[in-house]
Amino acid sequence: MNWLKQLFSRRRLYGDLTEEIREHLEEKKEELVRNGMSRKDAESAARREFGNVTLVEEDSRSVWRWPSIESFLSDVRYGLRTLSYNSSFTIVAILTLALGIGANTAIFSVVYAALIRPLPYAQPSGLITLSEVRPQDGQAGQSSAPIWVSSYPDYLDWTKQSKSFQSLAGFSGDAFTLYGAGEPELVFAAQTTINFFSTLGVKPYLGRDFAAGEDIAAGPKVAILTYGCWMRRFGGDPQILGRSIRLDDKSVSIIGVLPRDFEFAPRGNAEVWVPLHIEKDLVTRRSLRWMPVIGRLAPGITPQQAQAELNSINASVAAAYPQENGAIQIVMVPLRNRIVGQVEPLLLILFGAVGFVLLIACANVTNLFLVRAAGRRREFNIRAALGAGRARLISQLLVESLILAAAGGLLGLVFAQWGTSMLIAAIPETLLTFTPFLRDAHPNLAVLAFLCIAVIFTGLAFGLAPALQVSHGRESEVLKEETRASAGGVRARLRSTLVIAEIAFCLVLLIGSALMVKSLTALLDRNPGFDTQNLLVFAVNLPATSYPKDPDAVRFDKEFTDRLSKIPGVVGVTSNSVVPLTGGGNSIRFVIEGQPVATGHENECNIRDISNNYFSVMRIALRSGRLFDDATDLDTAPKHVIVNEAWVKRYLHGEDPLGKRIRFTYSPKEPFREIVGVVGNTADAGLDSNDEASLFLPFSQDANSFINYVVRTAGNPVNALGGVRSSLRAVDPQLVVIQPFTMDQIISQSPSVFLRRYPSYLIGSFAGLALVLAIVGLYGLISYSVSQRTRELGIRIALGAQQKDVLRLVLGEGARLTLIGVLLGLAAALGLTQLMRSLLFGVSAIDPLTFVSAAIVLALVAIAACYIPARRAMSTDPSATLRYE
Amino acid sequence: MKSHEQRDLFPGALEMMILRTLKRQPLHGYALAQHIKRTSNDLLQIEEGSLYPALQRLLKVELVKAEWGISATNRRVRIYKLTAAGAKHLEREVSRFERMLEGITRVLARGES
Repeated sequence: MNWLKQLFSRRRLYGDLTEEIREHLEEKKEELVRNGMSRKDAESAARREFGNVTLVEEDSRSVWRWPSIESFLSDVRYGLRTLSYNSSFTIVAILTLALGIGANTAIFSVVYAALIRPLPYAQPSGLITLSEVRPQDGQAGQSSAPIWVSSYPDYLDWTKQSKSFQSLAGFSGDAFTLYGAGEPELVFAAQTTINFFSTLGVKPYLGRDFAAGEDIAAGPKVAILTYGCWMRRFGGDPQILGRSIRLDDKSVSIIGVLPRDFEFAPRGNAEVWVPLHIEKDLVTRRSLRWMPVIGRLAPGITPQQAQAELNSINASVAAAYPQENGAIQIVMVPLRNRIVGQVEPLLLILFGAVGFVLLIACANVTNLFLVRAAGRRREFNIRAALGAGRARLISQLLVESLILAAAGGLLGLVFAQWGTSMLIAAIPETLLTFTPFLRDAHPNLAVLAFLCIAVIFTGLAFGLAPALQVSHGRESEVLKEETRASAGGVRARLRSTLVIAEIAFCLVLLIGSALMVKSLTALLDRNPGFDTQNLLVFAVNLPATSYPKDPDAVRFDKEFTDRLSKIPGVVGVTSNSVVPLTGGGNSIRFVIEGQPVATGHENECNIRDISNNYFSVMRIALRSGRLFDDATDLDTAPKHVIVNEAWVKRYLHGEDPLGKRIRFTYSPKEPFREIVGVVGNTADAGLDSNDEASLFLPFSQDANSFINYVVRTAGNPVNALGGVRSSLRAVDPQLVVIQPFTMDQIISQSPSVFLRRYPSYLIGSFAGLALVLAIVGLYGLISYSVSQRTRELGIRIALGAQQKDVLRLVLGEGARLTLIGVLLGLAAALGLTQLMRSLLFGVSAIDPLTFVSAAIVLALVAIAACYIPARRAMSTDPSATLRYE
Repeated sequence: MKSHEQRDLFPGALEMMILRTLKRQPLHGYALAQHIKRTSNDLLQIEEGSLYPALQRLLKVELVKAEWGISATNRRVRIYKLTAAGAKHLEREVSRFERMLEGITRVLARGES
């Protein structure tokens, strides 16, 4: 423990050394005096022969330390002391950095959780999704939710024939009324092929996985619960395995509980997982594409090899079933892309924007540092004269900047923690359900590592420039009073450059946020094709045991609708298989009479089953022909369809649709159906969706067991909910009201609105922060420059310069910097806003009005900021300034 | 930053001379400096101050030890003394130095002939 002893005895050692050296000099002096030298000469001779006392002492001491660490520690001590002397500088700098670092860390936490953290499955990179698409349909019908479906028979063929995949698994959403765990309640569920969890590499926390033979039975007999469901609905009952519950009308035994950290974003709302239980058509019909498929690549197989093999399997299937599969292609997408694909561009844009804020914060603190360094020139010159090397001075300044950055980082961590929870809280619960990975956004090791890197980066970024500048101090000028009059030189140029950069970055953020706000406004202003006011939306699911046939559903619908209509305040009740703005729904292939197409290449469009009063209750415009009505369109009446304008535009190319007949091709027995009406388009998948071709059938002729009801009320639609619940109980006490929302709620929580509102707020706040920082930077620069030029201004005024000349001089300087910054910012924005094109709606990425108005706003604020120091400059008293010095 | 004072000597030379001087008798810093200067006939340009970092290095690795005492001129001084390890180290260093010197001398002599 020698070093430990040394550490403690060091103070004495240093004392010894100082005394020893003093004695040395004394002895020398005495000897020289004895030899006849004057005392004064002896003094300087002794020092000359001895050398630089301070340096010798320092070198001697450095023998005893771990040199770099100790000089670092002494720099830290010194740095803390100097920073505490200048507390206002320190507070401003730390706050600025904390905001920059905190905001970046918060966004990074989310970026990490979504994009960097691997999916919580075994070897997630081997997981691929498979989907069947018909290129001729483009993305029609699915513009906001990329297609991910295949038919069950095709899935079986892939499983049998493919060697590239270790396993292939399918799943689908589901929902049950759960009995046997408190009040009957609707729970969301998922049904999967039995190898689903093993394909993901997930093992149940309790119990077992699905076993062979448990799928495709008449219904689920076993179920696996998520950890959350087990805790919430069953109180974490340790005896849960084997316990029997009722899902709808089937008794099911619980065989397992999933791990606590299990998540599967595409079915993020599923609490209960059951084996696949499909019947009849779904099992056998290739043209019914409803099941998303995931696969795990076999070891050593590349995605390209797998794709090639799938293509050849697909070709042989298509040859055997040209009607169903003739135009089908198989698309492989990594599971990760399916899961995070939609939030990825948003998060990257936010990350980039917040990075700009950090850069501006750094530029600002650098400027503060430069001003401060200028004031400390004497201090550094003195230290240089006393033997401090250049490296030592640089390291001193860097240590100070790192101390600031570290303090900013610590405070930033607090901001980040707070910011991250705000970021997540701002996401609507309905969206968060399907992005469960975002809930994992919190400070962890990766985030801390990012924070440290950010701290070091910022510390170096704003510390290096002043450090290098200071070390320029020429030793010949040592101890000379700083020349006051000139504000020019390298340092001033660097400061101007920084302010220009701040203005440019700020403008990019302003333009970005303005584009987002414009997109949001345009989106919310978009007419979705129906009246969204005062609508209550919910669904009812009719179990097959109580409602086996279509007429049963029709009877239920009629009775329920009648009751709903009698609720006070209800002005209309209607239903549709798909509620506009919520997405999803089925599509169907058809041929138009007189337009022959090759087998398998028929047209395909959305199909909706509606109540006869649907268009009038929704206030969707009738363009031509007639609507369905209860008198004509009975279940036994001739089959008619209504189409929308997009359908006419796409398939009839301007011909008159009324009287034309179409036939569905899934069965040769399908009759021709006459087009009796054309209605306006509605935004189906979301406010940002394109107009999709849809056709409508009367519910009475094509009933469903899952019915979406829309109730229009006179007042607040929420008030009708109680009446809705009691009406349903009156008709059938076994049924539950599924997901009641007002249309306003649906809109405000929809992905399309979220994808604009979220970045509008965030980039908007970043831009606001950037504006404040940049303006403070500019103001600081101009004020400093005015204070440096007091003498010059005094002379000018003494020589007859008018106030307006002084004003022009000072404002001119600010205006010049602003103009350069604005021009650079405009150029940068032209390029950078292209990156956010996918988020924009109804506004071009280079919208001239946005660009120009953002530039003007920034310029005006900038000039206003310069006006304050300019006023001060105008009131310069020439006699006072000339007397000074 | 590395010891400017050694620019005319090779590394370790100053330490070697200090050890050699202290082998003869314990001395304090000033006397040590004067002795080295005198003995070298002022041929070597050594700042007196440069002695101290070297002494600290030797102290640290315990080749010398130091004690406060009273000098001949009645001053309170720190007297440095060679330790056993220091004596051994000196022997080794001197023999290494002599071998090195011999080598250099031979090469230089060859070059002349």
